[in-house]
Amino acid sequence: MNFESLLVAVLTFGCLFSVLTLSLNLQYARGGMINFGIVAYFAVGAYAYAIVTQEPPSGLDQYLIGFDGPWWLGFLVAGVGAAGFALLTGWPTLRLRGEYLALTTFAFAEVLHSFLLNERRIGNGSVGMANVERPGISWGDVSDSYMFAVAALLLMLATIVVYRSILVSPYGRAMDAVRDDEMAAEAVGKDVARMRFEIFVISAVPIGFAGALYAMITTLVSPDLFTAEVTFFVWIALVLGGERTMLGAIAGTIVLVLFQEVVRGIPFETVRSAQIAASVEHMLTGAIFVMILRWQVFERISIRRSLPA
Amino acid sequence: MSQDFLSVDRVTKRFGGLQALGGENGLSFTVSRGTFLGLIGPNGAGKSTIFNVISGVLKPNTGAVYLDGQNLSETRPAEIAAHGLGRTFQTPRAFPSLPILENVIVGADSAGERLGSVLSGHWRRGEPKLKEKAATVLQLVGLGNRMTESVASLSGGELRMLEVARQLVRDPKILLLDEPTAGVDPSLQGKLSDILVRLHEDGTTLIVVEHNLHFLLRIADSIVVLQNGELLAQGSPQAIRSDEKVVAAYLGADHAA
Repeated sequence: MNFESLLVAVLTFGCLFSVLTLSLNLQYARGGMINFGIVAYFAVGAYAYAIVTQEPPSGLDQYLIGFDGPWWLGFLVAGVGAAGFALLTGWPTLRLRGEYLALTTFAFAEVLHSFLLNERRIGNGSVGMANVERPGISWGDVSDSYMFAVAALLLMLATIVVYRSILVSPYGRAMDAVRDDEMAAEAVGKDVARMRFEIFVISAVPIGFAGALYAMITTLVSPDLFTAEVTFFVWIALVLGGERTMLGAIAGTIVLVLFQEVVRGIPFETVRSAQIAASVEHMLTGAIFVMILRWQVFERISIRRSLPA
Repeated sequence: MSQDFLSVDRVTKRFGGLQALGGENGLSFTVSRGTFLGLIGPNGAGKSTIFNVISGVLKPNTGAVYLDGQNLSETRPAEIAAHGLGRTFQTPRAFPSLPILENVIVGADSAGERLGSVLSGHWRRGEPKLKEKAATVLQLVGLGNRMTESVASLSGGELRMLEVARQLVRDPKILLLDEPTAGVDPSLQGKLSDILVRLHEDGTTLIVVEHNLHFLLRIADSIVVLQNGELLAQGSPQAIRSDEKVVAAYLGADHAA
């Protein structure tokens, strides 16, 4: 893998997964909700996009619905679908606290995963849907992959703008109050349940968009792309970057994606050496996490930045 | 019942096997609009429990609380607060991640807390007014020059005043204060009693739990005495002072002095 394609891949997936990390940051660090099922909203976005844009079934296809719609419609439906799924899952669960919410969101994501795996009429079951429509967005001599990197960057920036406007407003202030002390916040009329629900649903929208973009880039949606590994990837990125700032969330994600892409890019002569490398990757990943957490690298950077000059 | 602003009607509350409020017949008392009610009683009499029941933090086992004729049994604390009921807590509560000024502003019901106005940026117009109001209130409670500091820099007594300020900025119709003078130095206590007297003159209904009877008997116009979760006496400060049951149960040597 040459340097250029590495850079494009890191930019694309770094920005794409940053959208998830930023959403988790909003839900967890500011909203006080532990969502261990973030992959579900991502998957709903990807599947919604695929279902809206793919052609009606033919031949060996086992899925029942395909609307052959335009890509932008699929993209919009992905956001709406993820929000809808958040409505559905948030309603019964958000009254739960801390680890109970973590468990139920995790369970919901697992249920969705098994559903997609076993219900072939939705997305072809375990095979998934290949050849998901990829909008032709090349521009002059600039190739698709660059344009998708730009699209991911734009999606991330838009997410930042929306989340920032929420956080700097009185709404963000009330969120902080609710997270600090629910009882005191209720004593001044803050509707804790309503705010949590709103944040949960709103933050699902960019995740859904990211899912659609992911489906466009990979042109494939299948259940094994959307396992709990994605959830943990996002959590690790958030922990790495520090939950204090958006910048930290992004930095953590990009470092993690960079690490994965670099490892993926190393060529191997034999299967054996690839297996060894895979094990070494896990060990190294662990060692790097420990080091970053030990020295709180990103936290320090963000604290220094927030100090008055 | 129409002029009773707040009515506690045969309320009982038990924690496990312990009857915390109400005894056999339940606790009942009423507060008419604009009253300054002092709530006294020995430790464990149920003063904070009845506050928690009125503000919706605890639900009564039997009986009900009516605010302005509305049964609050099924109402959540945030909705009760939105009806104009403000309260402070026995152990003062603050929001550590917000600076002192923001700790007060957050008490106000800002239009910017609705998502529509957040995304349109509409909330910015109301903000300066809120800031100004919060600053005025902080001045009143003696924290005017600490507005940008963290709440971690406040003492216990100052935290109490911060909590009072957070309620004042909301202009509550009825305000419940749980031991507002505990740990507060004498000069601030003077400020606090000025504030309460002014609120009373403005028509705010006040219910104040206090162990500092000199403070309370001087400014309240009605007193409810609780003992073991039951109503021991209700009346004017003068009547309470001379009520033998009350003197025996609670005032004792303190009153004789």
